[in-house]
Amino acid sequence: MKYRREASLIVLVGALSFLATLFDASFVPANAIDILINSIPTMIISCGVMLVIITGEIDISVGSLLGLLAATLALLSSTAEPGLGIHPYLAIAIVLTVGTLIGLGTGCLVVYGRVPSIIATLGLLIALDGAQDWLMGGGDIKHFPQELRYLGTGTTIPINLILTILVVAGTGLLCHKTALGRRIYAVGSNPSAARLAGISVTTTKLFVFALTGMLTAIAAILWVAKLGNVSTSTGAGLELKVVTCVVVGGVSIRGGRGRILGVVLAVILITMIRTVLNFMDLGSEAVKWQRAIEGVMILVAVTSDHFTQRNQPGGKS
Amino acid sequence: MNKWFSSIGLFVACLLVIGCGGRESDRGDGTPENSNDDKITIALLPKLKGIAYFTSCAEGAQQAADELDNVELIYNGPTTASADKQAQMIDKWRLQGVDVIAVAANDPAVLSESLKKAQDAGITVITWDADAQAEDRSFFVNQATAEAIGSGMVDTMANDLGGPDAAGDVAIISATATAANQNEWMKHMKTRLASYPNLNLVATKFPGEDQNAAFQDSQDLIKKYPNLKGIFGISSVSFPGAAEAVKQAGKTGEILVTGLSTPNDMQPYVKGGEVKTVVLWNTQDLGYLTVYAAAAIRSGELKQGATEFTAGRLGKKLISGDQIMLGDILLFTKENIDQFDF
Repeated sequence: MKYRREASLIVLVGALSFLATLFDASFVPANAIDILINSIPTMIISCGVMLVIITGEIDISVGSLLGLLAATLALLSSTAEPGLGIHPYLAIAIVLTVGTLIGLGTGCLVVYGRVPSIIATLGLLIALDGAQDWLMGGGDIKHFPQELRYLGTGTTIPINLILTILVVAGTGLLCHKTALGRRIYAVGSNPSAARLAGISVTTTKLFVFALTGMLTAIAAILWVAKLGNVSTSTGAGLELKVVTCVVVGGVSIRGGRGRILGVVLAVILITMIRTVLNFMDLGSEAVKWQRAIEGVMILVAVTSDHFTQRNQPGGKS
Repeated sequence: MNKWFSSIGLFVACLLVIGCGGRESDRGDGTPENSNDDKITIALLPKLKGIAYFTSCAEGAQQAADELDNVELIYNGPTTASADKQAQMIDKWRLQGVDVIAVAANDPAVLSESLKKAQDAGITVITWDADAQAEDRSFFVNQATAEAIGSGMVDTMANDLGGPDAAGDVAIISATATAANQNEWMKHMKTRLASYPNLNLVATKFPGEDQNAAFQDSQDLIKKYPNLKGIFGISSVSFPGAAEAVKQAGKTGEILVTGLSTPNDMQPYVKGGEVKTVVLWNTQDLGYLTVYAAAAIRSGELKQGATEFTAGRLGKKLISGDQIMLGDILLFTKENIDQFDF
């Protein structure tokens, strides 16, 4: 069955919603939109990282990149010390450019430097985190202009959610309806065949890394807009959450396979665990439960991926 | 751009400090054993420099140094909260032969060796703001005990909710489940909450250092407990996270948030009404007291076993064991928050 992973994720999301409804009858109507809004940074970045993983590479630097870009945006646009208070739209444009360029740089490191992407992006994870600490100088940055905050707190229309839906829809169209999307899958499932078919593996990989950088910038902008606070810990650990969601969503860690729908469901599932546990009165132990549940989900996802591939005669194992 | 200029400025300042240090150590490498007629050189080391909190501590320290005419103050620290960098600075100061090193320790274990060496070289070592291992220093200038902070936050919340008869649900949003300071504060908060029988602690959450999680936890608590009246955001991540969640839930004025913060950081929420009172100690007084104590310990005026000590304009301060107590907490409200700039 083609949509097996998606089906099981829908069952899990449904089961968790049902469980929470037992504790609070209005759980779903009261929380559905908020869970979607809380999932935004993970959702947007997962779209990029999904494409990177489909090409057979990985990017684990996105947590630090989000932190660095949030710090950059904060320093540029904050109206209080040490912010420069430049116009938020200009700051946003700069952050989008910087994010895309860093993503492209990561791609170059992997493609031209021939550094395995897990190692290159691990190094970047640490380096970008250090750069974030240096930029921030240790304190938090708050006091953002209203034009920026509006993107995250727009009262009647959740602009950030609309943008996220556009990003997800765009990624879905790119993956499943365009020639570029088919190239991304081809590069991941069999690079030499792709090369023989005249596909530029280099360009395709550079594109997905640069796109991930740009999507991380969008996530950073919406993060600052919603929370209005940037600290040295902003973004820390997000890379793990993103990779978890992509893998749980059924994207093969070996490349070549995966669909946007599974990733979207996985992001919703992982985000809602926290809220469900908050509503279930498990007390302060809930945090430890959440970590354990997330860990088990990674293991289940990865091992089931392994087994289904082995059982398929056409699978590449 | 300012960042670049300030970096260059910093670099030049470092060169100057190193240069001066060189000359000082040329003059004599021995440690001034009896320096009654000499100046007392006090090196004040923050966890990191350049942030408002420690800058305001340094302002108070400079006031004290100006009042005490036999004190020369050096204020310098790493630009990130790095214990390794602190250790390097302590080693450098030891070689320069300063008289007192006052450290806000980033990591007691990492600093231990450098502090021991400094003590062996005859330098008086004290700690302030964040303690090192007890054997590595003579006194610790304690800004506020865990008990003063814990009960201070509960009293503040109860007061803002209507005094001794304050009623309703309250929740705590901490940092990680293993954060030592927060756990110590929570112990005293729970003890203190017992004296307000109508305040009901319904939940304690641990979002870690994740701002998004702190926001999500606050949002969930607001929905789950319709009678929620107060949230204690007891980390630098959870305090603004909870205030933002209250604001976005449209519960401003119905749910109050309190916690520890510098006044500048929480000023918008105090003005907005999500936060009525911010709890902290007087940071300038902390720097001031540290310098007074450092000078008194070096000159032999203040010895182990003393139970109180007079620190200039602050008057008498209590000493408990080897800890010099700054004492009361300071509360920032809409009325006074504009008088403080840090």
